[in-house]
Amino acid sequence: MNQDISGGLENTRCPEIIKILSLGKRSGRLLLNNGSETGNIFFRDGQIIHAQCGQLQGTKAVYELTVWSSGDYRFFVDETPDVISVDISMEDILAESANRIRQMDRITTLIPSSSVIYSLDPDIREKEINLKSIQWKVLANINGKRSIAAIAQNIGLGVSDAMKVFYTLLKLGLLRDAEFSVETEITPLGIELPETAFIDALKEDLTRAIGPVAPFIIVETAQELNVDLLSEDVGQRSALIETLSSKIPDEGMSLKFLDTMTEWLHGEE
Amino acid sequence: MKGTIKDLLKVSGVHGYAIVREKNVQIKLPSKHKFSGAKNNIKMLYDSLVSARNRPGNVVEIFLEDMVLTIFISGLTMMMVMSSTRVNLALLRMTGKLVLANIAKETR
Repeated sequence: MNQDISGGLENTRCPEIIKILSLGKRSGRLLLNNGSETGNIFFRDGQIIHAQCGQLQGTKAVYELTVWSSGDYRFFVDETPDVISVDISMEDILAESANRIRQMDRITTLIPSSSVIYSLDPDIREKEINLKSIQWKVLANINGKRSIAAIAQNIGLGVSDAMKVFYTLLKLGLLRDAEFSVETEITPLGIELPETAFIDALKEDLTRAIGPVAPFIIVETAQELNVDLLSEDVGQRSALIETLSSKIPDEGMSLKFLDTMTEWLHGEE
Repeated sequence: MKGTIKDLLKVSGVHGYAIVREKNVQIKLPSKHKFSGAKNNIKMLYDSLVSARNRPGNVVEIFLEDMVLTIFISGLTMMMVMSSTRVNLALLRMTGKLVLANIAKETR
């Protein structure tokens, strides 16, 4: 292995190394290590042609690596990848990297590292919130035990992207530092529903439509309607399904939920 | 579920239906049903409901002594379902919404 450039990421961030290799029209593999993870960026005549970091490949991996601010790097001349996964211009890569570094600098003022562990804020049920599906995914994985990096790996997300989601959730007041959590706290995501075929179907379809808060919404709606979740009465079940469908903001999703659950009820009749 | 008229007619207590779109009125009811000849009245109801600007919702329920009329509106299409008072109204509304969504999709 012919190694000719190496150093620390504290002094030279990844975009600067990329610029140097690009200007020199170099070919080979740039290996980066931040202490817990490693990643590779492959160059051909100064152009990035492939990158890999954990489960990520292509431009996602490049952007993940460009925000690393500690660790070291080494360049191995003339090493070639087995696949080509990057096909965008160097200007675009550098512009997006600069953007992400700015974002990451802001994020690290609130979240010091990806090893931090958060838990859900116990006041979460009193707030009305709108979340994107990726934010739901992350929220559903927060249990006061998993770190940001572990959650990112669990859901196949880059660590920097996961930190961005955590930053938003923290800003929304949904999270707090796990060490301040009360052991007996009950989160809305921990609600236990009775295990019947009807409730299982309801939970599965509603979760598909509105995310992991579905069990909480089912319990809340059943209380509002004074419906017994264990009742096999079709009237009570229909009322519950209809009201739940009206709580799904997306009309298409609402109809899909109605469709599946109505079929379920017709099957029961 | 396909969300077809057949599914609607399977709901226990449903007598039949009327579908109105602009000038077309299609009624499917047993011949002796009291609404089987009510084409003009249904059309009048359609005109007033479809043109209403401040209609609070798209489902209207009219409770008569011996039956319930459940009306679903989507754009220029109205579907009225005649049923007994003992029908499972929530199930009827759910099925009706699906049927009308499918009809609206087909006529788009």
